[in-house]
Amino acid sequence: MYTIIQKIELESQNNVKFSDVGYTTSDIIICDVNKYYDLTLGSFIGLNRTELETGSVLIDTFFNSSSYVYEARYLVDTIEGLELNEITNINQL
Amino acid sequence: MSAPIKGNVTSINQSPNGNFYQFTHNQNTGNDGLVIFLLTMANSVTPSNATYGGVTMNRLYTINRGGLSQRMAFYYLVSPPTGNNTLRVNFSGNQWNPISVHVKSFTGSGGIGASLRSGGSSTPHNRTLTVQQDDSLIVTTSTGVNQILTQQIPTGSNKTFVTHNTNRQVSVGAISSDVGHSTGVVNLRATATYGNLTLDRTEIKGLINSPPSSGSSGDFFLLM
Repeated sequence: MYTIIQKIELESQNNVKFSDVGYTTSDIIICDVNKYYDLTLGSFIGLNRTELETGSVLIDTFFNSSSYVYEARYLVDTIEGLELNEITNINQL
Repeated sequence: MSAPIKGNVTSINQSPNGNFYQFTHNQNTGNDGLVIFLLTMANSVTPSNATYGGVTMNRLYTINRGGLSQRMAFYYLVSPPTGNNTLRVNFSGNQWNPISVHVKSFTGSGGIGASLRSGGSSTPHNRTLTVQQDDSLIVTTSTGVNQILTQQIPTGSNKTFVTHNTNRQVSVGAISSDVGHSTGVVNLRATATYGNLTLDRTEIKGLINSPPSSGSSGDFFLLM
């Protein structure tokens, strides 16, 4: 399986967009990307889930301090036709 | 009869952070295509519809697992567009919880057959599915509070699966061996480390091979 790394950015005041930026087969890169996501956007969502659902907190609050984050939880068994480059070093992101 | 041919798989465990979620899935080229889409997520919102390549998918079921605060759904599309296409699922509201998405392609499929769902039952969770057609495959999915250990199709034959976390444990992607099952009752089992887990199962049909026509247009040998 290949893991597609996605860039998550603000799309509108309370919506994000996911963009495919590359793929990897490295467990180390997957772990590092997801660890950072969990500490940042994942943590923000976890702490504010109820408020996000009611609209008393908007997701753009998070993106005031960080313009984007990456996540690597999208697994495919073919990358044919996706025109993605392999990420072999986290510094490529 | 012939079993469906397994194709590409896409498996995702992310938070949509909005009122829809979309991604790319690659449908294999070949006759009699089928794509299935299994979704599990928090039941605070419901999936309203799903499209693949812009074509509305059929919803086989959506079920609220209230005790687990989860909703599970199964969509499919016969003869889907091939290649890379966007699968989009729309929700009744913003979904801020992680979701489990699993998409699998087939070719040489006669579509969906029998399908049954069973709510939380103590491990080992044993169920059956009566397969309607020879050589069909069975896909199973489970959710529960504790780690899911096995998906057995049939009972005693562990199949690989993907584990997702939707604030509950989800196992998805387990499927029969390539040769499929004979018509009749198939015993199935799901197990977890402890406690209750659900067990949903669905038949993926192969093709019924047409007998040769009895007309005069076919090839024949004359034995002397």
